[in-house]
Amino acid sequence: DEEVHVRQRVIEVDPQEEAEFEKELRALMQESLDSRKLELRARPTLNMMIPMNVFEGPTKDHHGRGFEGESGDETLDEEAGGSKEVRVKVLVKRGNKQQTKQMFIPRDCSLVQSTKQKEAAELEE
Amino acid sequence: EETGDDESYEFGKRDFAEHACRYCGVTNPACVVRCNVPSCRKWFCNSRGNTSGSHIVNHLVRAKHKEVCLHKDSPLGETILECYNCGCRNVFLLGFISAKTDSVVVLLCREPCLSVNALKDMNWDLSQWCPLIDDRCFLQWLVKVPSEQEQLRARQISAQQINKVEELWKTNPDATLEDLEKPGVDDEPQSVALKYEDAYQYQNVFAPLIKLEADYDKMMKESQSKDNLTIRWDIGLNKKRIAYFVFPKEDNELRLVPGDELRLRYSGDAAHPAWQTVGHVIKLTAQEEVALELRASQGVPVDVNHGFSVDFVWKSTSFDRMQGAMKTFAVDETSVSGYIYHHLLGHEVEVQMVRNTLPRRFGAAGLPELNASQIFAVKSVLQKPVSLIQGPPGTGKTVTSAAIVYHMAKQGQGQVLVCAPSNVAVDQLAEKISATGLKVVRISAKSREAVSSPVEHLTLHYQVRHLDASEKSELHKLQQLKDEQGELSSSDEKKYKALKRATEREISQSADVICCTCVGAGDPRLANFRFRQVLIDESTQSTEPECLIPLVLGAKQVVLVGDHCQLGPVIMCKKAARAGLAQSLFERLVLLGVKPIRLQVQYRMHPSLSEFPSNSFYEGTLQNGVTINERQSQGIDFPWPVPNRPMFFYVQMGQEEISASGTSYLNRTEASNVEKIVTSFLKSGVVPSQIGVITPYEGQRAYIVNYMSRNGALRQQLYKEIEVASVDSFQGREKDYIILSCVRSNEHQGIGFLNDPRRLNVALTRARYGIVILGNPKVLSKQQLWNGLLTHYKEHECLVEGPLNNLKQSMVQFQKPKKIYN
Ligand SMILES: [Zn+2]
Ligand SMILES: [Zn+2]
Ligand SMILES: [Zn+2]
Repeated sequence: DEEVHVRQRVIEVDPQEEAEFEKELRALMQESLDSRKLELRARPTLNMMIPMNVFEGPTKDHHGRGFEGESGDETLDEEAGGSKEVRVKVLVKRGNKQQTKQMFIPRDCSLVQSTKQKEAAELEE
Repeated sequence: EETGDDESYEFGKRDFAEHACRYCGVTNPACVVRCNVPSCRKWFCNSRGNTSGSHIVNHLVRAKHKEVCLHKDSPLGETILECYNCGCRNVFLLGFISAKTDSVVVLLCREPCLSVNALKDMNWDLSQWCPLIDDRCFLQWLVKVPSEQEQLRARQISAQQINKVEELWKTNPDATLEDLEKPGVDDEPQSVALKYEDAYQYQNVFAPLIKLEADYDKMMKESQSKDNLTIRWDIGLNKKRIAYFVFPKEDNELRLVPGDELRLRYSGDAAHPAWQTVGHVIKLTAQEEVALELRASQGVPVDVNHGFSVDFVWKSTSFDRMQGAMKTFAVDETSVSGYIYHHLLGHEVEVQMVRNTLPRRFGAAGLPELNASQIFAVKSVLQKPVSLIQGPPGTGKTVTSAAIVYHMAKQGQGQVLVCAPSNVAVDQLAEKISATGLKVVRISAKSREAVSSPVEHLTLHYQVRHLDASEKSELHKLQQLKDEQGELSSSDEKKYKALKRATEREISQSADVICCTCVGAGDPRLANFRFRQVLIDESTQSTEPECLIPLVLGAKQVVLVGDHCQLGPVIMCKKAARAGLAQSLFERLVLLGVKPIRLQVQYRMHPSLSEFPSNSFYEGTLQNGVTINERQSQGIDFPWPVPNRPMFFYVQMGQEEISASGTSYLNRTEASNVEKIVTSFLKSGVVPSQIGVITPYEGQRAYIVNYMSRNGALRQQLYKEIEVASVDSFQGREKDYIILSCVRSNEHQGIGFLNDPRRLNVALTRARYGIVILGNPKVLSKQQLWNGLLTHYKEHECLVEGPLNNLKQSMVQFQKPKKIYN
């Protein structure tokens, strides 16, 4: 592999530009929120049940092992430090069909924290 | 970390990959997403580069785009990111939640789905909702950040370049960063001049400005798609299907007007196929609800109410007609008389008088008696080929114009053409002219035929439909058939069209006066008409090319009515405005030395209210045609600080804020005091229709509407009936009582919009009986004109503070004014 040494860039962000950007971003967020508050309030929750096929197979192992995923995934996970990432299934809709896709997310992501804590609590019982 | 960068480094491929980041060129599929806005569809990466947010976030914020799609080779495959529950695609609202016990995650929107109670009982953990965009970056495990090496090899784009290229994309979506370097892109267009060699030079200057404005208008309107609209279905009197929905408006964005064309879409579901149709806006309610009359009634999913989208259908008609008028002006010698041709181009021409026998009386039947300055105006106009009439607020512009048109029509020079830029002004004028007994035909755009109008009986389409049935039995029969069946056989349709055209022509030709908007004068139905005499009202609110449309139909005698001390035409494209497109023909003629005839007696304002505007904007020439007694509000018990002076400046120290749209301002303290003043008026016996609340900022307008309906001390309905509007939209109108909320209140940023003296003039001259101004004197006094206004109020002991029931004179110190405007 070709190795290149480039001096680390010093990223300088113009504070005024940053402030202006932040303002625009917040306005967009706020506007998005406001627009939704008027809409859909009364709409019922549709289909938030987790489809059964998600649980098929040895998916109960939350340590990322035991998935019947594509080959190599498992070792990759190990190489990455084993506990750095967790494998999750992302539930998406294609038209009206439910589908799951695999993804790796960092173990320290708040998203998986609570699941892991509960799990640990369960183990202790 | 895993990065699939090797492939993307293949030589030469990097620059050409379709999915390369449009800012920096990174092509790694794991690192890029596509903006999902149909007119955009550009790819951006999740690297921060040298800016304050990642490239994709930068783009979304700058372009105000909100939807994205992942790359097909990314871990999730080609996926439009959307809420799993409701399908909302606004990435600024989306985030992940995970199941309580299983490693399953799902995208959910923050509002409303995250707060839906039913979800809490299910297997989902809502407490750890994790936003999709965090720290101005997409979640890095969903869209990878390019490696350091990838970033170094990429284009080092700066925030300034990003801003520039985003600006460029608004008019040219395919532009590249290289285009920024090309000469021409940043160049300012040629500015308007005072005089022109010939009409070709005139066209060379104005055509590019109109093109700029048209491009900007198109870009702005076509980017205005709104999703997730809720529809209320109805059927109109003409049996056509009408869709009602709320179209939230934001500053600098699209304002819908009746006649606008919109496309309504439904993407379909299990029970309904995808559907779309176009329709015309026929009404806008005070609650910001839009009524859209659909063109086709078949297949409308009327049992569905949610999840509709709407796009603006941009039409180039008005711009095409301006370009067409300029071309006609240049190539057709008969388009205007030689005198007018040279006069408009600023050439020295010998003064010409129109030889006409003057009438003995200058007024007209059906109109109020004219005053001296109005009679003078009518008399001089009739004798001159080109004249300007300046009508300050409340001076009887419309009556004077109607009298002029009456006498012109009686001179036997053929039909008179009467125009104005706005439909409202045309209607008012048509009504007054019709009152003199002249035969008036009002031609409105086809798209506005369903829009209700106070002069419907004068409109061409109404007259065609209401012909004596026996007289035009064939057309009448076909029309009935068409109304009943919705369509005709092709041979009948042909016959119907030909008959209709002939009838329209017959009716138009028999009129003494044709009234239409300036743009409407370019209607094909007037293509073969010639008008020697043309009057344009509100001409200071139209651009030159717009004014030219009615003139090039053969004008020999032109009357421009307006007031260049009030607001001018609205130009959206800053470049075109800077180059002078906002200057009206009226103004240029004034600069060329044509002296406007000023109407001098105002009949609107209480004399105390007209004093300052007269002195500041009209050299003190405005006289009062109403007395203090005529403007005394009988039995109204309102706490005016000085009896007989129904005005005060109410000192406000509350802070200004940036509104939700980020492009406007609001001021909560002022809004709450506006409510108190309104309530006080209502309690004292004033009715809602007498009150107008005006403010220069859309943000404040929306906030006041909302605030009053929620916090009003009296019945909610009363507040709903009160008109709250922008200063600009109130031009040409009046109310008995006006409350003006100035909004701006800051240490350093200045007063923006309020700087324009013409806007202040308009704001101060809307009230008949009384005015209350709310503002921060410390801030406003820095500007010379406002300083003068504040001093005027202070001298009259009308600068006050404290609670409304105990107003005290304010001792607030003014700042020294700076001498410059703007
Ligand atoms: Zn975009
Ligand atoms: Zn990039
Ligand atoms: Zn949702």
